[in-house]
Amino acid sequence: MEPDDFALMDGVKNDREGAFEALVGRYQRRLYRLACGYLRNHEDALDAVQETLVRIYAARGGYRPDAHPFTWAARILANHCIDLLRQRRVRPAVSLEETQTRPAGRDALRLVSSEESPHERHERRELGRTIEEAIAALPETQRDIFMLRHFGEMRLEEIAACRGCALGTVKSSLHRATRALREYLSRREPALALELGEGERT
Amino acid sequence: MRRYAGRACRAARRALPLRYYGALSGREEDALARHLLVCSACGGEWEALRKMLDAAGPATVFPRESEVDWDRFARATVERSRAAAVARRSPVPFRIPALWAGLAAAAVVVASLWTLRSPTRVGGDRTALAPPVDGLTAESARESARMIEDRLARRSAARYLSDSRSLLLSLVQSPARCRRSGGDVDVSLEAERSRQLLRRQNLYEGDLEGLRDQRLAALLRQLESVLMQVASLQDCATAGQIRDLREQIEQRQILLRIDLVTREIGGRTHVV
Repeated sequence: MEPDDFALMDGVKNDREGAFEALVGRYQRRLYRLACGYLRNHEDALDAVQETLVRIYAARGGYRPDAHPFTWAARILANHCIDLLRQRRVRPAVSLEETQTRPAGRDALRLVSSEESPHERHERRELGRTIEEAIAALPETQRDIFMLRHFGEMRLEEIAACRGCALGTVKSSLHRATRALREYLSRREPALALELGEGERT
Repeated sequence: MRRYAGRACRAARRALPLRYYGALSGREEDALARHLLVCSACGGEWEALRKMLDAAGPATVFPRESEVDWDRFARATVERSRAAAVARRSPVPFRIPALWAGLAAAAVVVASLWTLRSPTRVGGDRTALAPPVDGLTAESARESARMIEDRLARRSAARYLSDSRSLLLSLVQSPARCRRSGGDVDVSLEAERSRQLLRRQNLYEGDLEGLRDQRLAALLRQLESVLMQVASLQDCATAGQIRDLREQIEQRQILLRIDLVTREIGGRTHVV
């Protein structure tokens, strides 16, 4: 049986063999998704995740189990990402894809499949970009809470502890965020909204 | 968005995201399920929300996540974390004296090598060598000289790698839109910096060739190839060219390896 996160962190703190490797394996992808939400750049996100894990290892002695280890890790990551955003150069970052024209059309609600055709992959990437834009357009609190829950897979109580807010705030922010995402998608992509069932509304 | 019908529907719709994320209590879940059975509008809302959140999965929003070799990334992260921890344990106050001590040792070694290797001089011949200075044999002096050369080459390599990393980061992370026609991304700055770095590498070449670290040597060769490509770009590159470069950098994990190697070099060169 795999140790829970607290036991694993205890192992990391006490330099138990293999504990840090297991923690890295368990957290790296969740942290990557959170970092993408902040930085919106693949390479930046990878760097931020690695830096966060290096900091976690360096600060392992100071970890106190009153916070969930992932909550602690997410906080370190958030602080690092915020620092990076502050330091980011004046030169505006544009995604490479934005420098090219985007083809219209959408048949998007497909999940990843190993048999996905190039066209389907392209459509999925377009959908991903639209959703990413919709997430980026959310107010900061709603965006952070949505990211922590949806991609960080954190429990609502952990999010409340991580952000130092009430559980009710987390719940209402999540509700507002999902509603805003749907509104954004219906405005930007009416065809997608139809597929999502928005057309049934009056 | 449709206006909600009543208090029960408003409460149900607020609970929908919580249902999706499994954050409702058993009692709340039962109540919501009963409401959805009798209220088709809320049932439609639930389906739409579920579909949207399913579609917004990591594979869709972060398609490049699947391109990463996570096992390798984890190994590199663990290695880097441990290297950083070791470097941090090196007591900082001793670093500067250690550097001076290294330079002094280098001077002693160079002086003794000069003495040992000098050809026939007036009043003596090569076979009539002076006895080893302070216990230094010819072999140990040569070995020390090689170590110092290696260390100096490593320092040069570290500076070169660090500057190259900044350049590649700026290229792949913050491409500037080209104002002129005929290209998408303005790389004039990066191309010029690549040329400067290649010139610097030519100056270092003798030093770097002497490196006994095969991993570092391989990284330097790959880096040189990427820099040459950047240097050969027109001021306005196409997005395709930048994407190709980015893919090369990622496939070879150049940024990650530079980071790792630079830290290792930093750790070793401080221990003189």
